[in-house]
Amino acid sequence: MLKHATKRILAFGVADTRLSANRILPRFYHERVVDHYNNPRNVGAFDKNDPNVGTGLVGAPACGDVMKLQIKVDEQTGKITDACFKTFGCGSAIASSSVATEWVKGKQTEEVLTIKNTEIAKHLSLPPVKLHCSMLAEDAIKAAVKDYETKRAKAVASTTDKAADA
Amino acid sequence: MASSLKLIRRVSRSLNSINNRRLLSSSSASRVFPQHSILYRPFLSSFLYNDNPNHVSNKHFCSQGPAAIDYSALLQEDEFHKLADGTIHDLLEKIEEYGDSVDIDGFDIDYGNQVLTVKFGSLGTYVLNKQTPNRQIWMSSPVSGPSRFDWDRHDGAWIYRRTKARLLETLESEIQQLCGDPIKLS
Repeated sequence: MLKHATKRILAFGVADTRLSANRILPRFYHERVVDHYNNPRNVGAFDKNDPNVGTGLVGAPACGDVMKLQIKVDEQTGKITDACFKTFGCGSAIASSSVATEWVKGKQTEEVLTIKNTEIAKHLSLPPVKLHCSMLAEDAIKAAVKDYETKRAKAVASTTDKAADA
Repeated sequence: MASSLKLIRRVSRSLNSINNRRLLSSSSASRVFPQHSILYRPFLSSFLYNDNPNHVSNKHFCSQGPAAIDYSALLQEDEFHKLADGTIHDLLEKIEEYGDSVDIDGFDIDYGNQVLTVKFGSLGTYVLNKQTPNRQIWMSSPVSGPSRFDWDRHDGAWIYRRTKARLLETLESEIQQLCGDPIKLS
């Protein structure tokens, strides 16, 4: 019931801002941000020692935002089969990383590197002051892919060493 | 001694403002994953109770993109504040003057809580603020999105490491692009 009431107030707020473009706009979280906060997708963690898991950890508590984004990659196809995140930060940061996990699922690791912070920001209608959250989410994706590639390179190197020894 | 007291006061002030604006990742998620909220509390407490006056950041994995961080050139906090405050105040004056001379519908400039907000009406809003833990100036631009500028000692300028863009020059070209009239900031 409370959720229904908030949704109504939010809808009223959004309609109001559209009408009063000349007045100073009150700040509301866009309903997509609220949705990601109320119904978080893919919160959780994978085993970071799993060779198919890439972990991206970005931000710092001192800055106010820390995002951990993990991807599980199918090594045969290079496709991201699953993703999860944990974020310490504001609602926009949580929503940005949540959207990021949704968008990377089912894509190739090379493909997700093209996800831009501007797309995330546009999707969530982030205000100017929160654009940095979307950039952090983009960085988290890149860091996760980089970690996975590093792990794979190490694994490949160690198996070739073993073959050389044998 | 006095400087570490000042630091602790400043830290608790900024942490209070952060706590007022921040939420731990999703209340419903923390029901399912109670260990998550505990995971991040040690970060906060270790930052708060560290009394090293030259302490930069406990876990400094702030994303810097592909460029490496040159820790030897990291600014001391006092120097950073002097430089950053000087730059931001300078921008405040010059952009205010620009807004007065050029007729832009809905122009507004505001400096509060060390955050500089410039509204160019429907053309977009700029937000500039200091990010002290990283010794950076963060800018949010309606043209180029978010960017984080570090002070480069050799150049004597604020530079965004990923694109090598310079703060003042970027603002000059973007404002000219947005409003039509040139502005001199550097």
